[in-house]
Amino acid sequence: MTKNYIVENLKKQIESFKDDAKAEKVGHVIEVFDGIAKISGLSDIKASEMVSFPNGETGVALNLEEDSVGVIILGDFTKIREGDEVKATGQILSVPVSDAQIGRVLNALGNPIDGKGAIKTDKSNPIEKVAPGVITRLSVNQAVQTGIKAIDALIPIGRGQRELIIGDRQTGKTAIAIDAILNQKGQDMICVYVSIGQKDSKLRKLQTRLEEGGAMDYTIIVSAGSSESAALSYIAPYTGVSIAEFFMDQGKDVLIIYDDLSKHAVAYREISLLLRRPPGREAFPGDVFYLHSRLLERACRRNKEYGGGSITALPIIETQSGDVSAYIPTNVISITDGQIFLETDLFYKGIRPAVNVGLSVSRVGSSAQIKAMKKVSGTLKLDLAQFRELEAFSQFGSDLDEGTKNQLERGKRAVEVLKQPQYAPVKTEDQVVTLYALTKGYMDDIAIDKIKEFEEGLTEYARRNAKSFYKEVIETKMWTDEGEQELVKVITEFKQSFAK
Amino acid sequence: MASISINNIASAIYESSRGKEGVELDVIMKNAVDMISKKHLISKSKEIINQLQKIVDSNEGVIRAKISSKTKIEQKIIIEIEDFIKKRYKAKNTFLEFEIDEKLLGGIKIQIGDEIIDTTLKNKIKKLQNYLINK
Repeated sequence: MTKNYIVENLKKQIESFKDDAKAEKVGHVIEVFDGIAKISGLSDIKASEMVSFPNGETGVALNLEEDSVGVIILGDFTKIREGDEVKATGQILSVPVSDAQIGRVLNALGNPIDGKGAIKTDKSNPIEKVAPGVITRLSVNQAVQTGIKAIDALIPIGRGQRELIIGDRQTGKTAIAIDAILNQKGQDMICVYVSIGQKDSKLRKLQTRLEEGGAMDYTIIVSAGSSESAALSYIAPYTGVSIAEFFMDQGKDVLIIYDDLSKHAVAYREISLLLRRPPGREAFPGDVFYLHSRLLERACRRNKEYGGGSITALPIIETQSGDVSAYIPTNVISITDGQIFLETDLFYKGIRPAVNVGLSVSRVGSSAQIKAMKKVSGTLKLDLAQFRELEAFSQFGSDLDEGTKNQLERGKRAVEVLKQPQYAPVKTEDQVVTLYALTKGYMDDIAIDKIKEFEEGLTEYARRNAKSFYKEVIETKMWTDEGEQELVKVITEFKQSFAK
Repeated sequence: MASISINNIASAIYESSRGKEGVELDVIMKNAVDMISKKHLISKSKEIINQLQKIVDSNEGVIRAKISSKTKIEQKIIIEIEDFIKKRYKAKNTFLEFEIDEKLLGGIKIQIGDEIIDTTLKNKIKKLQNYLINK
């Protein structure tokens, strides 16, 4: 590149620059502290309008008072001084959106932070938008395959659903979310992972994991780290969902994960208290329910007339020693369409994913489950419920009748089958085969410590030998009588060879 | 009940003193000062006076503008600016305050209340800078 070329280029750019003199609304900083600024003037400002500070930082007006405006500062507030001139921009806070954001790591303002260069786009979406209305929606009837047997079989998630993942620290909440993302490969799904107040090291690990699994080809990470201000943590999920809406508007299906909303609520509490809004229960402000409900309401499945597409939301909530009756967990449980409840006890018993099947529900997902899965999982649910009841009793006495013993043995095998290592999603067809073998009693005479081995062998064998059954399940989502006969034959064959 | 704001006090003083003269006005002023001291708002008296000034101005149609420039502005341009302000804000009277600021490099900056019309070179260069960075 010659010197002349640079000069020419600059000249062209300067020539294309237009500047119109116009009246601007300004205010002055009265006080600034902890990421909050109080500003006088700015008489015509709108709620959640952006303001710009002289050093280039932006802020968002949250409190509009009689003679001052409360602003949260997005970025470094240490260089802002009392008396600084603040300009109103006339724009509601919005984030850039683009197809090129796929595979990138963005900050809460939608700008890349992964060092792979700038993303050029002239499109932007406001971060606060009213959720799609009733007439634009469609009921949930298509499944999101997470690749986790316990979830796909017992707590199915549909496209457009909001399913809460709740549990104590270190119970595998993020692991479920990551597995779900990894399993979306080839399922025509865009994933958005919003990390709120997480350690940067954890994020890095996660990004590497997704890259290794090839999942970054369809994933966007939005991150507001724990070293950044509460204001950024507060807007990060809205940024994430605005980006998700950009893809939904193209008719695509999007899976968005908020990890986690407890930290989001804490960040909002911090901001609210600093803005001197009155505290309520657990010192959260009065509108903390609305904070989450307006976010999660934006997850939806739109009907064809309005462009189709869906946003499936998997919010994560961290509880303190299993207390689901705390303020934020109860709020989010009531907003979402069900929850996946993870327990520390199960986790340390070796049942991983540590899903408590009894307490977890999916309120709309069952209509999204494929027929074949519904058929095998219906009896599984019953088996497990009976098993839990009997397990407590059987600890007292040893002489049990034959039927009870059988039920106990079946239950133990069901628990074993639902165990699954991390980063190892199972294909739906394989899940159907395994669960079919389990619920029809073909595993009853296999030793419990051999179940995993049996399962792996069976799916591999069936994949090769029960081709028409697999074809039916993949294409029509259900099997025919002939397919079932073929599968039964294959299972019996495999059992005979496994016994040897 | 919501607490009394500075704006409330200033408009109360304005309302009660409007059209009053001589001894009557003196009594009202004394009462006003008494009230302010009773409410422990003496420390805010400066803000109250500022607010009172604003209320008086807006009711009488007076616009106060602060005009900054690098050099002294010619009389002809001042009249033009005055006309412009009167037309834009539908004001009867204007009260202009001038300021010389070398740092503006050129052009003028008009400040009316919390509104700014900035046509200075300094502002333009800054805008150009932002434009080139974002390009």
